[in-house]
Amino acid sequence: MKLDVKSLRTFSRLAHTGAERAAGSLSTMTGIETYVDVTKVELSSREAVATRFEEEDLVSVKIGFEGGLEGTTVLAFPRDGAADLVETLMPGAGADPEGDLAVSSLKEVGNIMIGGFVDGWADYLETTIDISTPTYVDVDGHEPLTDVDHGTEDQVLVFRNQLDSANDAANFYLYMVPTAPSLDTIVSASEGDDPVPLETFTSFSSMIAEGAEQASEDISMMTAIPTEVDVSRLSFVPVEGVPMAVEDDPRTGVVLEFEGTPSGYIAILFDEESAESVAAALLPGSDGEAGAEMHQSAIQEIGNIITSGFLDGWADTLDTTIEISTPTYVDDLGPAIIDPLVTDLAQSQEFAFLIDSTIRTENDEFTCDIYALPNEQELRQALEQLAPA
Amino acid sequence: MKVYSSDPSTESGGRVKVGIADYAVATGDARVVTSGLGSCVGVALYDPDAGIVGLAHAMLPEYDGSGDEAKYVDTVVPALVDEMRAKGADSTRMVAKLAGGSEMFEFTDDRGSIGRRNVEAARTELAALGIEIEREDVGGDHGRSLELHADTGALQVRSANQGETTL
Repeated sequence: MKLDVKSLRTFSRLAHTGAERAAGSLSTMTGIETYVDVTKVELSSREAVATRFEEEDLVSVKIGFEGGLEGTTVLAFPRDGAADLVETLMPGAGADPEGDLAVSSLKEVGNIMIGGFVDGWADYLETTIDISTPTYVDVDGHEPLTDVDHGTEDQVLVFRNQLDSANDAANFYLYMVPTAPSLDTIVSASEGDDPVPLETFTSFSSMIAEGAEQASEDISMMTAIPTEVDVSRLSFVPVEGVPMAVEDDPRTGVVLEFEGTPSGYIAILFDEESAESVAAALLPGSDGEAGAEMHQSAIQEIGNIITSGFLDGWADTLDTTIEISTPTYVDDLGPAIIDPLVTDLAQSQEFAFLIDSTIRTENDEFTCDIYALPNEQELRQALEQLAPA
Repeated sequence: MKVYSSDPSTESGGRVKVGIADYAVATGDARVVTSGLGSCVGVALYDPDAGIVGLAHAMLPEYDGSGDEAKYVDTVVPALVDEMRAKGADSTRMVAKLAGGSEMFEFTDDRGSIGRRNVEAARTELAALGIEIEREDVGGDHGRSLELHADTGALQVRSANQGETTL
């Protein structure tokens, strides 16, 4: 199977339009204004998807679809959000979120929203798509997205829509995982050029994962606190959606530019507590008494180390040189930090490849988020280096 | 493509979210919010007589002939004015407030600061439409989040480290 940027754009627009229809259906049903925050086309391993469901403690409604397009959709809610939504629809039912009444309400939400979601795809492909009866899936012991036929591929292409409501009552995700033959159908319909085999994206994704592993090892060595890579993802996002992929809370860290093929931007961000912990680990004995300047230089130093760890492997794999600028220290709201980076790219591209990785310690001493935004055209050139001969 | 909704939202109460490359019009006691303004610029318009406000969150100064008009200052400002007029506002009564357009980083990019260009584009566009800029909080090197009150036209500007001001 092959993918090209034009197909990815088509995927992204279809998924976004579908999600808006789904959000509209929910607004009508509940009276709560619902928005689509971000639509991402993600290449992810089955395992990573399952892990996310477990960690975020998501309960979901799974609905299969078949006909012109086949696969699975999952509407996933944080457990509390599901209970709140059920309560809105059917006062009293939210008190027993596992009860029949609550479960059947959620299934009904799924039915209506997913119906709206797949309609747009059916229109575009000029076909009919039928949806199956909803199944309620609790996260415990289930892997809701992993039973889709992708042949032998461990990597799945996931359409992940983050929805939010005006009163912040509901924040949830709508996933769609088409089967491999169905992906081919969509790719053919978009008539793109310069297709890249899916394996190339998979190789790129592995390269990112290795970079994150290296960064994690380096950060562990520097702070003497064992860390592990929690998430490592490649997604394709409309440029204006990128800042909203970052939580709207204060973040401390560094921003750097990298130059080469590809060039782009990287942001290494810590929440405030994590930044304190990292600085303390690097400045032992300071007991938090170190001045702001020391704190800042410690964060800059770790930003440098993480960036090198993260990007060095790219240069080797892509057979190129990637130069890194001096890190700029940042302390601001997460989306406001990412905004100027993506705005700069937006001058020449409508969509961005967003690479995001999270490194965390076992005991929650700190969490570090890495966001990399390569220039789209240069990344396409770089991908050619990875294409199987 | 707008991030939040296909159609500009109009609300008469509650909280209306404006995404990036998005705009909304509101009346009554609604509050229109947008967050994460770095180099992006927020343009708030208010017709006090009609009690109608509008808020746009634009990324880039000039429309390049393709893509969503809500992404660009020079196309989103007239679109916002039109939308407000459609709800009963009169552009001759409108006043504007600007916020955002900061210069957070010095990139090697030689196309000049987008933040500054965004603010200039907003001033040019509003001047062309004959709308006076009453107050502004632009530039600097920090991000901003905005909350526009439909009943008073007050624009609250919050930042992570610079506190809060009301324009």
